[in-house]
Amino acid sequence: MTDNKNILIKKILEQSIYPVLPEQLIAMISAVSLKYLKDLTEIRLRINQPLLLVLGNQDITVNPMGEVVVNSNEAYLCNQDDIQRTLQLMSKNSLYAFEHQLRMGFLTIDGGHRIGLTGQAIIDAGEVKTLKNINGLNIRLAREVKGCADQIIPYIITKEGQVLNTLIISPPRCGKTTILRDLIRQISMGSKIYKGLPVGVVDERSEIAACKSGISTVDLGIRTDVLDNCPKAMGMLMLIRSMSPAVVATDELGRAEDIHAVREALNAGVSVVTTVHGKDLNELLHRPYIGELLENKYFHRYILLSDYPRVGTIKKIIDSSNNKILWEGAKIC
Amino acid sequence: MLKLIGSLLVLLVSSYIGFKMASRCQERPRQLRQIITCVGSLRSHIIYSCLPLHEAIANSTNGIYGPVAEFFQQVANLLEKNASLTPQEIIKKVLREMEGSLILKRPEIEVLYVLGGNLGVMNCKEQEKYLSLVIEQLERFENEATRLRDLNTKMYRYLGICGGLAIIIILV
Repeated sequence: MTDNKNILIKKILEQSIYPVLPEQLIAMISAVSLKYLKDLTEIRLRINQPLLLVLGNQDITVNPMGEVVVNSNEAYLCNQDDIQRTLQLMSKNSLYAFEHQLRMGFLTIDGGHRIGLTGQAIIDAGEVKTLKNINGLNIRLAREVKGCADQIIPYIITKEGQVLNTLIISPPRCGKTTILRDLIRQISMGSKIYKGLPVGVVDERSEIAACKSGISTVDLGIRTDVLDNCPKAMGMLMLIRSMSPAVVATDELGRAEDIHAVREALNAGVSVVTTVHGKDLNELLHRPYIGELLENKYFHRYILLSDYPRVGTIKKIIDSSNNKILWEGAKIC
Repeated sequence: MLKLIGSLLVLLVSSYIGFKMASRCQERPRQLRQIITCVGSLRSHIIYSCLPLHEAIANSTNGIYGPVAEFFQQVANLLEKNASLTPQEIIKKVLREMEGSLILKRPEIEVLYVLGGNLGVMNCKEQEKYLSLVIEQLERFENEATRLRDLNTKMYRYLGICGGLAIIIILV
């Protein structure tokens, strides 16, 4: 298990992360022991602050030699050049190609790893036009974990082989996208018990399918169509009209138009599997737009995730029709 | 006999120099036109396809051959392999390497440097404005180069032949 984790993290770092980091940061991170790196979930760079390696629920700092240090005074401090160079490498000198993503405060690199950005927002007509003077980067490592949705599948597929409308709920960094990715793969592939269904994926942030030049770099099954880098609401309707999917999957609902598109999909007889940020159902009920979907019981199943005891823990599976808890405890994907 | 062979050689060499200078004079507006076509195509690949810079530059040379296509291809290759270098650094490097084959004057080279300085760092709308400005500047240089070509091509050829004859007369 640990060996697999070591191999996986080495592969992610070498193929996707090192190519977008300046040389001195690569030297530092590659010198850190795999004992720590195997649990790496985020790399955080902030100007004049220590380089932080986030490992699940804790984080570590390292000195310029790549040794883990407790005292932050001994840690390597990131500078403006680190951020600039990283940004240049990530965007491949093509910031214009990430204009839409930059406006939302992130960009996604090859492998589906999302890079969060902070800086000064430039406002035009009340909307964020772009970000300038970037001062912080959060490199979130995406992992493809095949089989992590095994325990959810029996709860969301009926005996007739239909996929129930499913909402995955969790705070950030609990494995929503990883589980959604595996759900898509399993629904698309089918099994001995149920047949595979055509799945349409609207990948607004290029995280689910990790597309490179429009082609998915992860396994999403043989019946999956991906609409990459397309706004959710628009994409869901486009897919329903053009690709006749049985299931539409998308990530992180939130805006009014997303909710409208989900409603349209459900009315068109297409199942929806999606995710939303939130801690529990009560909290979501009070949120605009999402609360409306919950009140009207548009979804059949709610899957609540947590990062305790570790990322990817299924806390509860709830049947929305009678609010019956189908599973409670700590299933670890 | 020796004088005749010597005279013929002088005439051949001077004519060659004259014709060579005339051909350089003809080549310059042609190369400038090709650069304008490439920058125009680059603008389309950036604005409408949002391709990464190296891909956009590589695609901009479709249908173009010779030193200009080679210049843009080399820039695209280096951008892909060395994303840590800025487009300006790469353009400078490639221009230095191709000094002999690209027939460009100082102001045109400066426009290419400045082009590199602003590539990829702005949004699509600003890139479009900027690339249009570069094309306008290059078109002015092209008009001037065409005027010089019409004026000087024949002159260089005649000068080569006549210069050779003059040397022969003086020596003989």
